Amino acid sequence: MKIIKLLAAMTALMLILAACTSDDDGATATDDDGAADTTEAVDLVQGGGERLAAVIAADVVVCGVNDGLPGFGVVGADGTYSGFDVDFCRVVAAGVLGDADKVEYKPLTADVRFTALQSGDIDVLIRNTTWTATRDGQEGATFLFTVFYDGQGMMVPASTGFTTLEDLADANICVLSGTTTELNLTAVFGARGIPFTGVVFEDNSLLQPAYEAGQCEAWTSDASQLAAFKSSIEGAGGEDQFIMAEIISKEPLGPVVSDGDTEWAQAVEWSVMATVQAWEFGLDSGNIGSYSGDNPNILNFIGTDNFDPGLGLPSDFAVQIVTQVGNYKEIFDAHIPAIGLSLEGSPNNIWTDGGLMYVPPYR
Amino acid sequence: MTTTAPAPPRQTRMDWARKNLFRSWWSGLITVILVPLIVYLAYLSLRFFFVTGQWDAVRVNLTLFMQGTFPRDEQWRLISQIMIFALAFGIGLGTNSAASQDRAEDAGLDYERGSIAGTLARMWSLVAFISLLLFFASTDDLGNFINPFLVVGGGLVMAAIGYQAHRFPRRIRRVGWLLTATFLVLGFQVVSGFDAGGWLPLSIIFGGAVYGAVPVDRFDSAWLRFALRLVAIAVVVLIVQAVYRAVDSPGIGWDKWSGLHLTLMVSAIAIVLAFPLGLLLALARRSTLPALRMMATVYIEVIRGVPLITLLFMGQFILGFLLPQGTVLSAITRAIAVMTLFSAAYIAEIVRGGLQALDKGQNEAGQALGMAPPPIMRRIILPQALTAVIPAMVGQFISLFKDSSLLSIIAILEFLGVRKIIHAQPDFRSVAFAETLVFVAIGYWAFAFAMSRESQRLERRLRVTR
Repeated sequence: MKIIKLLAAMTALMLILAACTSDDDGATATDDDGAADTTEAVDLVQGGGERLAAVIAADVVVCGVNDGLPGFGVVGADGTYSGFDVDFCRVVAAGVLGDADKVEYKPLTADVRFTALQSGDIDVLIRNTTWTATRDGQEGATFLFTVFYDGQGMMVPASTGFTTLEDLADANICVLSGTTTELNLTAVFGARGIPFTGVVFEDNSLLQPAYEAGQCEAWTSDASQLAAFKSSIEGAGGEDQFIMAEIISKEPLGPVVSDGDTEWAQAVEWSVMATVQAWEFGLDSGNIGSYSGDNPNILNFIGTDNFDPGLGLPSDFAVQIVTQVGNYKEIFDAHIPAIGLSLEGSPNNIWTDGGLMYVPPYR
Repeated sequence: MTTTAPAPPRQTRMDWARKNLFRSWWSGLITVILVPLIVYLAYLSLRFFFVTGQWDAVRVNLTLFMQGTFPRDEQWRLISQIMIFALAFGIGLGTNSAASQDRAEDAGLDYERGSIAGTLARMWSLVAFISLLLFFASTDDLGNFINPFLVVGGGLVMAAIGYQAHRFPRRIRRVGWLLTATFLVLGFQVVSGFDAGGWLPLSIIFGGAVYGAVPVDRFDSAWLRFALRLVAIAVVVLIVQAVYRAVDSPGIGWDKWSGLHLTLMVSAIAIVLAFPLGLLLALARRSTLPALRMMATVYIEVIRGVPLITLLFMGQFILGFLLPQGTVLSAITRAIAVMTLFSAAYIAEIVRGGLQALDKGQNEAGQALGMAPPPIMRRIILPQALTAVIPAMVGQFISLFKDSSLLSIIAILEFLGVRKIIHAQPDFRSVAFAETLVFVAIGYWAFAFAMSRESQRLERRLRVTR
């Protein structure tokens, strides 16, 4: 008898929860404009480029980010996202929607990020994603303006005395799975004929303890990440670390959108580039609102003369971006020096100071 | 004068030690080696817990562990959910106790009603885990949205109120179950939102209740009875639907849930869905219809032959492209579907084991009594078969619960995954890896152990009353 009651209860619960499930799906489909429009957008994007309109209608930018990358994408104890990449999500929202807070963050792993982009789950992917030919060609992804020039480096405990890659013959090397880092490691060591064993991890919270416990003699990752971990390991009283001078790859990181929607790609790209343009003009979050000069290029840029290049962005988009988030230097300074890298002498400096940050003129 | 039995010889501690620890020379040797080792390990663990452990990473991020990135200004939804679930738990417990009491009375047996205190004592691992949470919360500043002590206290009060359902007179015992189910749905929807689509689950509950409750016995025609019941259900459904349309307030869909909250919800939903599905699969695999049998066999063997993580990835990568254009299934919906389908295959095999263990005579006895196949299955075979496989079944549920930690690999932020984002925070980048891991382990253990204890109790009770 009891078991029958139990069964009946179980079945009833099943029905309830099955109904909840469908209810939830129903909610997604009938949910106020937001979700419905996104659904529509998926269809239209494949037809020919309505993502920008869909984002404006939904009044939110869905941004694929990393939730565990020091300096670039971090979730605080209060559940809020911050970091260099996260700020560029905010830049896009400020540019397109006029409000930097209208971002919905979707944390993604390296393995699922392109699927999320292709299936239309996210509007833009800003998750330390390296621009490569294969990804551009095969993943259905359009890579936009590079916001961070990184390169792959190699870190070893200083006590090992290793200084070059050749010292690492037969070493165990810690690396994250599913990344270009893993591929570069194999390629570079293979080309130079240095034998090694790759020790692969899913994320840094697993890799780091293994490295500190001596499971591998070296840790390879983007130089920005190695700098972050060097400073935190040493700060926590761990062994001194040494980052080799040699950079074994180019890692240009920037926002990525889905192929086939030029309009949306332009809106994202010019929003992002506006941070560099503002920096070049000497405009920052403090002074862009009160610009009183008569430089026509700047007047175009801040939209006081209602200049409209036809990008589908509001004429004051640059002002919104810079006041709400900041120019490139401000964004950089807010997150990157804290992980142990400086702007000076890096490729991320502005072109007038010898860096690679160079944007087409806004006119 | 009555004679008293001679007192047993008093056993001193020395006797006990001699008997249990130093019975022979090798037993003594083992004792000498093991005791210091155990003491040393205990010392190390205690020292880690109370002295060397840097629990700040857990303490500061306690809310992150519990609810992940769930919007903080919607936290009242989670707290309401805890309260409503506590109420449902109390009502269910009270109703179940009273129902057992009814049956015991019918059979003329003594029965001691279960109580909330007794249930909490049985689930001591959960109590310990919640105490640990409160301990961490108490060392934090209590300027949070709501004092966690109030939440726990409120939950207990709600459970106690719900437990009063055992006072319901016997003839409306069914109302207790109905209320339990209703509050489970409401508790779910207080987070997911009372939007117009949410009428369905409550309609099913009330429809089911109404179906049995409509007084139709006076009519002779079976068709008339059926029609009247349908009409009654339709009226109920329309009323429920009208209420939902009127309320229509969207909530936070489960694609935005995370942390322990998500882990528990995903596991509960997958368990509840996988059980009946597995049952049907097991029956299908033993069916005499070849097509049905073959489909069930192929399904079970294919699913069991593929690792869960592979299926999860397929759910993310392939499912979205197979579905018709414009169907938006959140990653979590897809993950729950995959976990349900995966567990159902295992449960089917477990149930099949139980079915095969039963003597053929049971079936024949039913036939001899003139029973039709469905009642034989329902009243004779399944009760015995399922009772026999409770340990294996709960083992499968526990493993499903723990497997939910794989979701972090497909970018769903569940309990274990919170660790990863904590160690990206500037303050905890290179510290306290062990502490967060131990905390998560305790959390999983508390729930898995409570499930295991509950299954042992169920086993005992079913064995007694069989």
